[in-house]
Amino acid sequence: MKISIDWLKSFISLEGSTQDIADQLTMLGLEAELNVVTSKLGDIIIGEVTSRKKHPNADRLSLCEVYDGNETYPVVCGAPNVDKGQKIAFAPVGAVLPGDFKISKAKIRGEVSQGMICSERELGISEEHDGIMVLNDVAKPGQSFTKYIDSHLDQIELDITPNRPDCFSHLGVARDLAIQLETPLEIPDYSPRSFKSNEAESFVSISIEDKNDCPRYIAGVVKNVKVGDSPNWLKSRLESVGQRSINNIVDISNFVLMEMGHPTHMFDYDQLGSKEILIRRGKKGEKITTLDEVERNVSSNELLITNGKDPVAIAGIMGGLESAVTDSTTTVLIESAYFDPPTVRKGAKALGMSTDASKRFERGADPNGAEKAFWRTVGLLEEVAGGEWVPGIVDPYPKQITQNEITLTREKLDILSGCDISDDFIIRALKGIGCDVNGKSKSWQCTPPSWRPDIEREVDLIEEVIRLFGYENVPSKYHYEGIMNGDQPDPHKGLSKILSIISGLGFTQVFNNSLQSEEKISILDFESVKMMNPLSDTMSQLRTSLFPGLMENVDFNIKNGHPNLMLFEWGNVFEQAESGLKGIREKFQLAGIVHGQFTKASVHREQDQPADYHVLKGAIDGLFSRMNVDKASYELVDENPYGLGNCSAIVVDKTPIGYIGMISPRFASTMQLDTDLCYGFQFDLNALIAIADKQPSYAGIVNYPVVERDLNFVMDESIRVGDVMDTISKNGRGILIQSEPINIFRHKSVGEGQKAIAINLVFQSASKTLEDKDVNSVIDGIIKVVSNKFGAKLR
Amino acid sequence: MILKESIESVRNSFRADSDPFPTDDQSVESLRVKYLGRKGLVAGLFAGMKDIDGKDRPMAGQLLNELKQELTLAFESNSPGEKGKTEVNDVDYTLPGLAFPIGHVHPLQQTMDEIKSIFMDVGFSVAYGPEVDDDFHNFSALNFPPEHPARDMQDTFFIDPETVLRTHTSNVQIHLMEEQEPPLRHIVPGRVYRNEAISFKSYCLFHQVEGIYVDKHVSFADQKGILEYFVKRMFGPNTKMRFRPSFFPFTEPSAEVDIWSEQRGQWLEILGCGMVDPEVFKSVNVDPDIWHGFAFGMGLERICMLKYGIDDIRLLYQGDMRFLEQF
Repeated sequence: MKISIDWLKSFISLEGSTQDIADQLTMLGLEAELNVVTSKLGDIIIGEVTSRKKHPNADRLSLCEVYDGNETYPVVCGAPNVDKGQKIAFAPVGAVLPGDFKISKAKIRGEVSQGMICSERELGISEEHDGIMVLNDVAKPGQSFTKYIDSHLDQIELDITPNRPDCFSHLGVARDLAIQLETPLEIPDYSPRSFKSNEAESFVSISIEDKNDCPRYIAGVVKNVKVGDSPNWLKSRLESVGQRSINNIVDISNFVLMEMGHPTHMFDYDQLGSKEILIRRGKKGEKITTLDEVERNVSSNELLITNGKDPVAIAGIMGGLESAVTDSTTTVLIESAYFDPPTVRKGAKALGMSTDASKRFERGADPNGAEKAFWRTVGLLEEVAGGEWVPGIVDPYPKQITQNEITLTREKLDILSGCDISDDFIIRALKGIGCDVNGKSKSWQCTPPSWRPDIEREVDLIEEVIRLFGYENVPSKYHYEGIMNGDQPDPHKGLSKILSIISGLGFTQVFNNSLQSEEKISILDFESVKMMNPLSDTMSQLRTSLFPGLMENVDFNIKNGHPNLMLFEWGNVFEQAESGLKGIREKFQLAGIVHGQFTKASVHREQDQPADYHVLKGAIDGLFSRMNVDKASYELVDENPYGLGNCSAIVVDKTPIGYIGMISPRFASTMQLDTDLCYGFQFDLNALIAIADKQPSYAGIVNYPVVERDLNFVMDESIRVGDVMDTISKNGRGILIQSEPINIFRHKSVGEGQKAIAINLVFQSASKTLEDKDVNSVIDGIIKVVSNKFGAKLR
Repeated sequence: MILKESIESVRNSFRADSDPFPTDDQSVESLRVKYLGRKGLVAGLFAGMKDIDGKDRPMAGQLLNELKQELTLAFESNSPGEKGKTEVNDVDYTLPGLAFPIGHVHPLQQTMDEIKSIFMDVGFSVAYGPEVDDDFHNFSALNFPPEHPARDMQDTFFIDPETVLRTHTSNVQIHLMEEQEPPLRHIVPGRVYRNEAISFKSYCLFHQVEGIYVDKHVSFADQKGILEYFVKRMFGPNTKMRFRPSFFPFTEPSAEVDIWSEQRGQWLEILGCGMVDPEVFKSVNVDPDIWHGFAFGMGLERICMLKYGIDDIRLLYQGDMRFLEQF
C-alpha cells in the first residue's frame, strides 16, 4: 500500500528524511520501501542557474552558467524550462548518474559544457523528462542533492502483513509511529451526531438474513449532493497515494478508506429501486454487473447487498454498476458495514477478485470503525459536495463483535523475551496500541482495541511489547542446554560421503525440476502423482525417475558444446502406487549418466575412450571400494523400471540396491533429444546410505612374495568372461589373491566363433613363500574346472 | 592417359604387396626398393613423364606425387619398432597435463552442506520429511486456519483438496513433535514447492532449511544469539544484520533477518523466524505453558545466489556445464 508522508504528518509530527521514516516503519514490522532509490545520487549537488542565454549555434539549446557554491561552470542545456535563478540538480564533470552514465567535459555545437542539469528521469526519480527538475527555495547551492531529495520524497510503499488490517490506512500507520516516537496522535473528528427523530428510517430499512455473514450494517442518507470535481486538496491527497480522482462522491469514499481504513460504499439512492435493503447470499443463476462493467455470475459463495429482489452490490468486494453514483445523482445512500472475514474471502476467491475493500474485510475490519467512517463520510459529503444529511442512522448490529480481556503475566513475558522490559514500558506500549490496561507489576488485564483483531491471546500482547521494545534492543544470548536427540544427528550423513566419492570420480552434480509433463512421465510405466492446479502442461506431474531430467541435461549440454558428460543427481521420485496420500510413494534415489567420451585423445593418449557401460561399471566399483563394500555383485537383468535396459542389478547382501545399464532410447525419441547412446546407474539412496558408513577393518599386510602367471584360454564366443572369472576366483584355494582378464583376441587363427582370453593370476600365501608346485597344483585345478565347465581349451 | 593407368596399377600392386605389411626388416627393405628405390616402379613412372603431352603434364605430375606420398607414408607409419622414430632427449614440461575427469559439486549442495555443518556445530540434529503431505501438517497444524488470508502468502500446488506439495519444510516440525517429546533441536533441509510463474527470481520449487529448538526456557534472546552466530559464520564475522518484526502464522512474535549488502547499498532479507506459536504446540499436544521454542526458515537458493553472486535462479536447475564447472 502507498503511504504519503505529508498525509501522515496530518496526524503526527514527524522529523527526518523519508528514508528515516521508512526505516522506522520497517523496524516496526511495516516493511517500507521508497519507490525511489537515492543512494546512487551521491555525486549530485545542488546548483543555481546564474545566467541563461540562447546557444549561438542551436535554437533549442541554452547556454547557462551554474554556480555550485564554489565556482561557476558553463553548461549547455536542452530543456525548455531552464531559467535564471533556478535551483537545480547539478551533475558536475566526473559524476556518475543511474545507469552508469558518466559526465565528462564536452563541446556541444562549439560551446564548452562542464556538467549537466538533470531531469527527474535522469536522476531515476520519476519518468518525467519534459524538462529539468526545479528545486524549491530551501535548496542551497553546494549542498548534497541526496539530502534535499530525501526530505522531499513523499511516497512510501508498505508491505502489510496479513495480521495488520489496521495498518491499511494512514491513521493506523501513524498510530504505530506515534508510540515509537512518543508523540501525540491527532485523530480527525469521527464523533456521532445527535438527531431528534430518525428520519433516515423512512428512507431505508435493512434486513440481514444471516448475522454471521454480516454482523453490522450501517446506512444513512445525504440528499441534494452536487456531483462534480473534487476540490484540489482532496485530489492531491488521492494523487499522493497514486489514486486517480473520479468525482467528489467517489473520491470521498476513497479518501476515508485511505485515511482511517474502513471501506464504505456510496449508492445512488434513486437507482436502488426500493427502500429495503436485504443482505443475503447469492442464488444460483443470479447475475450482477459490477462497477468495472463486468457481468458476474454469483452463487451462494458470495454475500450480496440486494434491494429486496435484485443484487445491487457484492458485499465487501464491489458495488453494482446500476446503482453507482453518476453525474446525475442527487441522493446518496452511504453503506458502512462489517462483513465476516472468511465470507468475504470465499466470495472474492470464487470470483477471482481482490479489491481495496475485500483486502480489508478479509483481514478483519474494525466493527466500530464502520460507525466512524460513516460519520466522517457524512461530514465530507456536506463539506465537499454540498449535501444535506437526512438526520438519523440505520445501524442493525445483530452480532456484537467484542474484545476479550487478556491477562499478560510478567513470568511469560520474561521467558519468551529472554530480557528485562520495565513495567512502565509495558504499560505505555499496550496503551499506545489502544488497549485498556489494568493491573500491577506481575500481571495486567488488557482489552485490545476493536481495530486489532489479531490480538486474542497473551502471546499476541507479548509480541506487541517486544515489537515496540525493539528487536534490536533484545540482547543476544549464547547458551545451550546440553546435548539433545538421538544417536545419529544426521540421517543423511552417508550421503555426504557418497557425493564426495562420486564427484571425485568425475561426476558433476545437477538438480532438476521434479515437475514434469505427462509426455515425459508416459515413457515409464509408473502411475504418477498429478497436480490439480499445475503451473502448465509441461509441469503437471511429479517425476517418476531421475533419468528424464538427466537426459535433458545431456541434450542441453550437447547443444552448448559440451558433449562429454558425467552427471548425477539425488532426490525424490514419486509414484501413486495406491489411491490417496497414503498411496503415494516417495522414493529417495541417486542416478547418474555418462555420454560421449570419458577421455579424449591427446598428446598423452592415442585414442578416445568412450564413456560406455564399462566406464560406468568402473566408477561403481570405485564407489564401492571407497565405501568398503567388497561383496557387491552384478547380476544381468533385462531392464529396470526407471528407464535402464541391457542392465545389471547391483546386488549387495543378496539385495539389489541399484542398477547399471543402457538408458532406454525411448527417452531420446519421445523427448526429441540429440543424444547418442547413454549409460546410467540408479540406486535406492536409502539402501546406499545404509552401507556408506561401513568401517573398514584392517587386514595385515603380507610380505611374502607374489607369483604371477598368465593363462590363455580359447572358448566359445557365447561364454561370458565374468562367469569364467567367478569360477576362477572360487577355485583359488586360498592363495589366488587376484585375477583379471588382460586381453581378448579374435582371429581366424583362433577359429570362427571363438575367442582367446588371456588371464593374469596373482598368487600369494599369508604364511609362506610359494613354490612352483603350490601354484601349479592350483593352476591345474583352474584349467580343469574352466575346461570342463566352459568347454575351454588352453591355447 | 596411359600414365594414369600405370599409376593406378602401381598403386594396386603396392596395396596387394603390403597387405599385410611385412614385419621383418629385410622384407620391408626389399618392398621399399621395389617401389621407392632409385630404380623402383615409382621412379620408372617419373621417367615416363617425358613422353606425356605438355598439356597433360601438370595433372600427371600431381597424380604421381600423390602416389609417392601415399607410399612414403605407408612405410613411415609401418616402420617396425622404434627404429623409425627419433629419440626424445628431454621431457617437455610445458605440455598440458593429462585431463582427468573432474566432477563438480552443485553450488546448492555446497550451500546446504555449509548450513548443515554450522547448525550441527551448535548442537542441532538434522531431520527430513515428506514432500507430499496433508493439509494438516503443511497448514492447519501450523496455525493457517482455512479461509485465512495467510494462506495467500504461499501459492500452493494441490494433489487433491486435502493433499499438497509442501510449501515449506515446516511440515516436518509437526511430524517431529508428533513423534517425540520435547526438548528437540533440529534443522530440516528439503525441497518445497510454490505455484509461482518461473522467472529469473522465482522458480516453481526451491530448497528450504527450517530449524526448530524447543525447550523449557528458550527465549527470543536465544533465537537472536543462534541466528547471529549462523549469519556471521555464513557471511563473515563483520556482517551487519538486523531483526525486524514480521508475521508468520506459526510464530509469535515473528521476525525477518536482513543482512546489509555494501555492494547493493541495501538490506537483503535472508531468513524468517519467530517464537513457536502456542497454537502449533497445541495441535501436537505439547503444553505451551511448559515448552517454548523458536523456529526459523531460509531459502537455500537465495543464500546460495547471494553467496556466489548468481543472478538467475533458473541456472540452478538447468544442468548447464558452463555454469556447474565454475563450482
